[in-house]
Amino acid sequence: MIDRIRRAFRSIWPEFYRQDKQHLDPYFTFTDYRKIWAIGIFVLVATALVPLLVITIIHYQLLQESVESELTLRAERLASNARRAVTFFLEERLDALRFTVNEIAYGQLTDPDHLAEILRNLKLGFGGLTDLSVISHTGTQVAYAGPFNLEGRNYSNQRWFIECQKHHFYVSEIFRGYRDIPHIIIAAKSFRPDGSFFLLRATLETERLIQTLSTYETGAHAEIFLINRSGIVQTPSKYYGDIFQKISLPVPAYSQRTQVAMAEDDQRRSIILGYAYISTQIADSPFILMVVKQKAGMMKVWQQLRSSINWFVGLCTLTILVVVIITCTFIINKLYLADKSKAETMALMEQSNQLASIGQLAAGVAHEINNPLALINETAGYVKDLFVLKEQFHQDDELIGYIDDILDAVERCGTITSQLLGFARKFEVKIQKVSLKEIISDVLVFHNKEAAYRSIQVHVEVPEDIPAIETDRGKLQQVLVNLVNNAFQAVDNGCILDIAASSAGVDKVRITISDNGCGMPEETLPKIFEPFFSTKEGDKGTGLGLAITYGLVKKLQGEISVKSKVLEGTTFTITLPTRIQKEISENEGSTG
Amino acid sequence: MKQYRLLIVDDEQRFANMLAKRLRLRGCHCDICYNGQQALDLVRRESFFLILLDLHLPDIYGIEVLKRIKATSVMTPVIILTGHGTEEDRRTCMHEGAYAFWHKPLGIDELMATLARIGEMPP
Repeated sequence: MIDRIRRAFRSIWPEFYRQDKQHLDPYFTFTDYRKIWAIGIFVLVATALVPLLVITIIHYQLLQESVESELTLRAERLASNARRAVTFFLEERLDALRFTVNEIAYGQLTDPDHLAEILRNLKLGFGGLTDLSVISHTGTQVAYAGPFNLEGRNYSNQRWFIECQKHHFYVSEIFRGYRDIPHIIIAAKSFRPDGSFFLLRATLETERLIQTLSTYETGAHAEIFLINRSGIVQTPSKYYGDIFQKISLPVPAYSQRTQVAMAEDDQRRSIILGYAYISTQIADSPFILMVVKQKAGMMKVWQQLRSSINWFVGLCTLTILVVVIITCTFIINKLYLADKSKAETMALMEQSNQLASIGQLAAGVAHEINNPLALINETAGYVKDLFVLKEQFHQDDELIGYIDDILDAVERCGTITSQLLGFARKFEVKIQKVSLKEIISDVLVFHNKEAAYRSIQVHVEVPEDIPAIETDRGKLQQVLVNLVNNAFQAVDNGCILDIAASSAGVDKVRITISDNGCGMPEETLPKIFEPFFSTKEGDKGTGLGLAITYGLVKKLQGEISVKSKVLEGTTFTITLPTRIQKEISENEGSTG
Repeated sequence: MKQYRLLIVDDEQRFANMLAKRLRLRGCHCDICYNGQQALDLVRRESFFLILLDLHLPDIYGIEVLKRIKATSVMTPVIILTGHGTEEDRRTCMHEGAYAFWHKPLGIDELMATLARIGEMPP
């Protein structure tokens, strides 16, 4: 199972990543394909991703800025509106008091019935008033209308009384007072005809104010409440302190205008804080309007958007990575394969060149040997002639035998030199139709006995429809004999030899001869067609067999190649034209 | 045996002499030249049954000698006998009208057979 996975993995693994063709290394244009691949991927990915990421970051910042400025603007608008409402609430009531003290004479005001009447009318007009009282310049309450009769009480040392004396009007903060109910006091100062002053004081319920504020609260994340200037919470707040408790936020600095700021609360939550110091045109007030918005809640939309952007960018990155890696791998692999085939061609060319130069050398040596051989031949021949033709010697069979030995040796040397020349001049090129099936079985006839004796199985596979080719029968036969001989020498007893023929394109046929014998190491493969190269031990091989075969195949205008793996076997492949191009052939004699 | 008159042109003196001796034993009349010019002079004066010509001569290259022989006596068969011949040489010589192109060492019996064959040819 693991083996199968490994095999599947190897089949999709790009070829350049293996880099195992070491003998071809010097012919490659590029040496390190893995590095090129890595650099290629890096450059392409960087080119594609960097702009995307930069734009995403810029987009983030812009979006965040715009969302924040929108939130700020909204908080500011809310704070301004609420401020106007509170100011209006206070101004309205202060105006009513001012009107009352200016319009109605002191004597009538101190009349309890009249005062009750005024209270009723004010309640009707504005609502939210609990009681009315008139306080003389000594601070003593002289008249009262309302539910709590506090007549005769002296307020001369109370802060509101002192403030109101100074500023004519007064708005108190919210406090419990004698009645233990949260309320606001507003007061207006007026003068009696005798020059002494008196105050008309009204108590306002806070319910109405709280209601007014609550109408501005929008959503769960916004909170509007009042504090006084020393930071005591005046109207209920959910998060920032109970009523009459110190607020948990710092008291904002004084400003005439509505202000908005980003801040953090005591729980370290981000908030948008809007505030306004409340001040009516008639009197200053101790209130600060606070608008607090939880940023986390407000930013939810933005966070959803950001998460969508993140997904999109992530998906894009993944797609770019996959596409770039696949494309890069494909291109580099193509490049590698092209380079490899170039390297193989170059190696082959170098091998042919080497063969050609070795051939030339061999031819030169052969030629140089031919002249002395010719002299030996003629001299020995002359001596033999003397023995045979002159009567006094021709009885001496022993001497003639020696001379025949010399002549035989010369002839053998001549044969070797002409083999070395690789021309095979002995055979004239005779082109005829040759059936592959026939010629293969002809060749195997020579080997039947040996195959049976060594129990070597020979499989021949020649399709019926393969056409007969026009070539030199003798040379082809020699080629096949050489290769089959070679294979028989390479295999052990009981091995298998496969001989197959097939079409290779329109005008070519291919013959393969493969064995499952001992094989050859890769380093020796480029050398096996060189003359005098032999892997056989001792003097078993001359080293000329495959060199001659190579020359013969070239003569037949074909190609021969070899593939081999140690312990797995060797395959020779010959590709031949179906019709050999005729060479100029002249009437040629030969002495061999 | 018919008395053939042969000319051997070869700078290898010992080879030429030895071959001439063997041919004389077989009843041939042999002249020997060791260079091209000598051979051309002789061919201009005398007529031969067959000329055996080496290619690598010290003064004139064998193919040039062949051309000039063929220019003066077109009917005389010339056999090129060389230890150095290339495929290219063979083609050129055959093209220039050589009777055959042989490599050394030479088989004397084959030479005799060839002489007999030439002798039987109609003039």
